[in-house]
This record gives sequence, C-alpha cells and structure tokens, in this order.
Amino acid sequence: MPNAAYKLEMRGICKQFDHNVVLKGVDFCLKPGEIHALIGENGAGKSTLMNILGGVLRADAGEIVLDGQPVHFAGPADSLRAGIAFIHQELNLVNDLAIYENMFIGRELRKGWKLDAAEMCRRSREVFERIGLDIDPRRMVRDLDASYKQIVEIARALLQEARIIIMDEPTTSLTEVEIARVFDMMRTLSAQGVSIVFISHKLKEVLSVCHCYTVLRDGQMVAHGETRGATTEQLAYHMVGHDVRVEKLQVEKRLGAPVLEAKDVSCEPWFRRISFCVRAGEILGFTGLLGDGRSELFQALFGALGRYEGAVELEGKPVRIANTTRALELGIGYVPRNRKENGIVRDLSILENGSLVTLDRFQRGPLLDHGAIRRAFDVQRRDLHIKMGDESDLITSLSGGNQQKVVLAKWLTAGPKVLIFDNPTQGVDVGAKEEIYDIILRLAQQGVAIVILSSEAQEIIRLCDRALVMYHGAIAGELDYTQMDETVMMHMATSGEPAAQ
Amino acid sequence: MSQNREKEHIGKAFARVWRSNPLFSTGMALLVLVVLQTISMGFDYASFGEWFSRFLSNWLNILLNNSYVGMIALGMTFVIISGGIDLAVGSTLVAVGAAVMVLVNEQATGVLAGMGITGVPAVLIAVVIGLLLGLLLGELNGVTITKGRVPPFIVTLGTMKIFRSVTQYFMQSQPGITLPDGFKQIARAVRAPVLNSMLLPIFYWLLLAAVLHVVSKHTAFGRYVYAVGSNERTTRLSGINVDRVKRRVYALMGLIVAMASVVQIARIGSMDYASAGSGYEMDAIAAVVIGGTSMSGGRGSIVGTLLGTLIIAVMNNLLTLVGVDPFLREAFKGAIVVAAVLMQRKESSN
Repeated sequence: MPNAAYKLEMRGICKQFDHNVVLKGVDFCLKPGEIHALIGENGAGKSTLMNILGGVLRADAGEIVLDGQPVHFAGPADSLRAGIAFIHQELNLVNDLAIYENMFIGRELRKGWKLDAAEMCRRSREVFERIGLDIDPRRMVRDLDASYKQIVEIARALLQEARIIIMDEPTTSLTEVEIARVFDMMRTLSAQGVSIVFISHKLKEVLSVCHCYTVLRDGQMVAHGETRGATTEQLAYHMVGHDVRVEKLQVEKRLGAPVLEAKDVSCEPWFRRISFCVRAGEILGFTGLLGDGRSELFQALFGALGRYEGAVELEGKPVRIANTTRALELGIGYVPRNRKENGIVRDLSILENGSLVTLDRFQRGPLLDHGAIRRAFDVQRRDLHIKMGDESDLITSLSGGNQQKVVLAKWLTAGPKVLIFDNPTQGVDVGAKEEIYDIILRLAQQGVAIVILSSEAQEIIRLCDRALVMYHGAIAGELDYTQMDETVMMHMATSGEPAAQ
Repeated sequence: MSQNREKEHIGKAFARVWRSNPLFSTGMALLVLVVLQTISMGFDYASFGEWFSRFLSNWLNILLNNSYVGMIALGMTFVIISGGIDLAVGSTLVAVGAAVMVLVNEQATGVLAGMGITGVPAVLIAVVIGLLLGLLLGELNGVTITKGRVPPFIVTLGTMKIFRSVTQYFMQSQPGITLPDGFKQIARAVRAPVLNSMLLPIFYWLLLAAVLHVVSKHTAFGRYVYAVGSNERTTRLSGINVDRVKRRVYALMGLIVAMASVVQIARIGSMDYASAGSGYEMDAIAAVVIGGTSMSGGRGSIVGTLLGTLIIAVMNNLLTLVGVDPFLREAFKGAIVVAAVLMQRKESSN
C-alpha cells in the first residue's frame, strides 16, 4: 500500500543488462526533507537504481510511487517534470557561460525577440537567497571553484522546482572546505523539505550529513536504517558482507635478485636523477602528492613517454626502453591509472580486453587460436574472481572493480617479471580493493617484482615492503615497512625533507 | 491466448536480433531494394528462361560495375575502423594504372617491351611492380600520418592532389599505349557462358572480401585495428605498436587500390588520367558508412561494407530501371547515407 509518509517509494525494482543482473527487486523509500545515503560497492547497483529514478533507464519490473501516485518515466525530461533532479558526478555546466545563463539553459526567458538577462538574474538571485548563497549570477562558471559549481547545479534544480535531488558522489573532487559548504547547503535544503539522495563511498561523510542510509549489495537491499548510532564499521560490514581488514599485509620473505634498476633517470620537466631498484618478490611503493612525477617516471620506464635520460637495467643487463612494445618484450607490465581512458577499449568484448596484451602469442599460422585465448582468459577469470556475464559481452557491461580485474588479467597472461600498478584501486570499492591486494601479494610471492604508485597512504602502508616518497620530481626519502607512518609520509611528500624523528 | 503469447515471443525475438546484430537492418534494407528492383524489371517476358537470363545479366552487370569501388571500400573499412580516412584512393588508382600501362605497353615505347621482355613475364612484372607501387604510396601516407603526427584527412587530401597531378604531368608526353591481350585476360579470361559477361573482376572482389573478413576477425592485426580505432592510448599501453598497425592499414589500402587499378585497366583497356577513380573515395566511404562502420573508429565490419556497396549498387540500378533522371541519382545516394547513419544512431541509443 502506498504510504503517505513517503515522498517517494520504489518497490521491487529489477534491471538486467545483457546477461548481467544488476538489480534484483530493490525497495527504496524517501521521506520529505530527508537526506538519504545510498551506499554500496561499485557494481552494487546504486547508479542503475538512481538512473531508473532519473528516467535515464527503464526498470524491467517494479513500480515507482511519487506522492502516493504511481509514475512512469519515459526519459529524463519526464522525471525532471515530476520534480526529480539528478546531479551527475561529471557536472553539467557550460564553463564559458555566466551562472544565470547556465541556470536557464534551454529554457531562457525572453523579452520580445531578445533574451531577458535582467529577469533571469533576478530569478537566479531569488533562488540563491532561498539557500543563503551570496554570489553574483553574472559571474562566469569558469571562475567558480568546484563546490560552487556543484551548488549552481543544485540551484538550477531548485529553479526547476525539484523536490528530490539525487547527488552522485558529489564530494570526490572537492576539498575539505568545499565539502563543508556543500553539506551546509544540503542541510538548508532538507530544512525546506527537499529530499536528497546522497550516493557516496565516503562513510564518514555519510554519517555526518545523512539522516538515514540504504545499503545495496549485489543488486539487493541488504540494510537500511537511521545513521544516528551507526558506525562506519557497521556500514562497511554491510557493504562488503564481511569485516573490512586494516591490518598490514606484508609477510617476511626472502627477496630475489634485482629485477628493475634505474640509475639517475631523468625526463624534464617531470622528474630528475631518480635511482631505485626493485627485486624479485618485492613490493615497492611510490607515493607523494598529485603531480610529483611518479606517474610520468613509470610511463617513461614503460616506454610510453618515448624518451628519458639515464641508465636502466633489467636483471642486471642494460636496456633501452624506447616504446611499449619493447617494454612488453622485456617483461615489464603496466596497469595504468584512469581505467576508462587508459585501461579499457570500450568497443571490444571482455575476452578481447582481457587478452589484448598477449593476442599475438596465440596464433596458429596467421590466424588466432580463439580456443587457446579463451582457455588462458578462463584461468585468470577464475583466479581473479571476475564477476561477469558472457565473455563476448562488451567490457562496459562490467562494474569498475571487475573492469580493473580484466585489465589485470591481460597483464597476468603475459607473465611479466615486473608489474607496475598506477593507482590500482582507483574508483574500486572496498571488497574489490581487498581482492586486488590479495592478487598483488600472491604475485609477489610468485617472484614478480611489484611497483605500486599510490597517493593513498594506507595502501602503501598496508601493502609495500619499502616505499619511496617523491616530491617535485625527485625522491625525498625512503622508508621500510617498519618506519611507514601516515604523518611521516605526508611530511616528506609536502616538504621534500626526510622527517625528523 | 497461447497463440498471442507466441506472437509476442516472435516479436520480441525479432526486436532482439534487430538490436543485437547491427547488420540485420542493413540486410533487410538490401532485401527490400532487391525486391523492388526485381519487380521494376517487369514480368512481361516470353518465357521464364528469357526473364531469368535478363535477371542474371542485370545482376552480373551490377556486380561487375561495382567491383572496383567494392574492393576499395573493403580496404577503406579497415582505414575507418582504425580511426582514419583515406582520400587518396582515386589518385593512387590513377598513379598505379599509369605505371602499369607504361610498363606493359606492347609498342616499342613500352618500358618492358623496350627491354625485350614480352608475353607472360612482362605481364607478371608489370602487375607485381604495380602492386608494390600501390603498397608504397599507401605506406607513404601511413608514415606521414604516424611519424609526422598529421591527421589522416590532411595527409591524404594532400597526396590525393599530388599523386594525380604528378601522374598527369608524366603521362602528357606519353605516346599511345596498346595493352597486350595477355594483360587484358586478367579481367576478361573467364566469362559467363550465356551472356558473355566478364566474371573475374567479381570473383576478385568477393575473394578479397572473404580474405579481409577473416583478417578482421581472426588475426591479431585485425583485432588491433579495432582496438586502435576505439582507444589508441589503451592499445599503446598494452604493448602494441600502434604506429605499425596504422602504417599497415594504409599500406593495405594502397595494395587493394593497386589491385582494383590493374583489374580496371585490364577490363577497360585504357585509362583517363584526369577522371579515372575520381569520386571513388567518397563512394567507398559511403558504402562503408551505410554498412554500419562508425566514422569515429572502433566499430564496423567487412560484411557490412559488402552489404553497403550492394545497397548503393542495387539502388542505382533500381533508379535506372524506374527511369529516374541520372542527375537525380546522386541525391538518392546522399539521402541513403544520411538515412543509414540516422537509423544506426537510433539503434545504438536503444
């Protein structure tokens, strides 16, 4: 029975893409003026559920009840007309237009044949006033910081009289101060009776700003309740289905011979005079701030930059890595950052993405041996627990974590001697993260030399036997795993000096 | 009741095939055109045999007349899937054609004849050199694109002008050329028994399609072409030599154009250096696009291009049979290109 206390009820929502069942009868309810957290791992179905509410996708089964009335959305415009605004992760503003122009884009006000800028500004100001925002609507969007852009999108939603605002991970690109500003705004709106769905991975934020939560796992609602009295551990437990590990993962082991050794390697303007050595079975971490040059350093050593100065030795023999093909021949593998741009080929299938690196090794005469390719990928699929439909489905049918595993699979089939991971758990949920750590540890045990680039201190501390901290293209210092500590590393990464202990 | 459900079932299955196989709608469009074309041939014949021979000769003509552009469209499919474009195909055709004719010329001014080489060896040498020249001109495009980091559109726009103009310059002082019969046999040897129509150009075209289909689906090179067109960065970061893949794509294009050139002069027996092959690049691109290949690269197929070429060909034939003014035919071609892309857009957004 529709319940009058709810602004919105979604009942028994089901959705399937190709062979991949994403939602299995999910219920989701929202009261007026409520800030409701929707949490879950990547691939749990959060985005799909909200895309259904936003009219982007259509549910295979289930009903949506708004203000006690069943509704059907044929497209985003329908949903918007019903008062539901979806603010996507990638903001939807035109940088080269003023704020008021963005607020009224597509629905400009006219006076006769020309635009009525004064009226549009006035109405924009009205909305800003309502949410206690003091900003000139004539300013260019380009000049705003990320939080104000976020807020302009919210204001636009209010201008369109939205009563439900969906915010998809709004804080990922914001600083602390900016986050606080957006949260204040959310609280103001909530007091005015606007309901907000807050999709996030950051559990601390969820507890600080939301009234209640719904947890999805594997397309099902596994928990919901009020945030008062809840802890991040509880939420994480619901998300993953088991306790989250925080312990260090290093094991005592005997390291093998040096595999990759760099001597005074430079490539202006990114990095200079870098020397290090990674041994078989060792997990070596590289950390620092954004733009410290570590990513470029390893792109250069993988031959993707096309140039570098200095000497590189592989297993004691001097080598010159001119391009990525040469790197692959030498047994160097590279799992890049930004999976979408660098990791996957979106027009190819799961199987083809998972075998791209080794394709030319599976030839019988001039033709590909599809059977052998499939067998090799199946081994990885089992080892890495890749959750997928049919292997001929497009790679984009998979969740972020599983896409990352396919990227890993293509390198593991190549059997590299040294494997470089650049931000291996970027955009990957808690559960998949632990699985990827397990895979990395297993590789190290098998004698692969591992390099991990990460700005996440916990990742380095938990995983690496040794870490180098970079600062402005140079190495600021070295820590072994007994010395690793978040504050020490942060100090080195921000000052370039070894920490005084 | 159950009959209703069955109907719904069939409808759904049809919709699924329509969506899951992008070639399905292209094939249906071709089928519709073929039916219309068959109807417009009329049925006012003395006997079934007469109708059938008319039907057959009409089809042989369609296939024969489209075999060169058909071959070039096959190569163009690779180029476009790799994310590029080749505007120089028509000029490459002329350059190769001129070289082959100068070599194989029977008269005393012929290069090979002047060296005392005649008969089969002369034909073989001329053809091999012609194919190599095509390969080389394609490679030239590829190297400029990859080494010089110049967009393919610009590079091939330039070579389109260069190849034809240089060919015309050298050929203006050439005395008359007679092609030996042995050379003409390349296109003319095998004929359909009843209608005396040439079969070999059609055979070369379909054989090439079969080979390239296998290359695109079942070789590492073929798959790399798709990967490069879809995401060049990821492909490079997967240890694949992207530049080499691209160079091979343009070299292959050149080689295919050279084949088309040899077949064309063998069939016609002469070549007009100012006009031969001009417009082939656009016809080939149109066929590729109608066949469902994405202009932004990464998606497409050889089978699709084959269907695309046939759609244009059958439509042209239909327009002739119905008696549409020749000047209007190009407009239909243009409309069908736009319509095909609109339809594909609609399907992919489903």
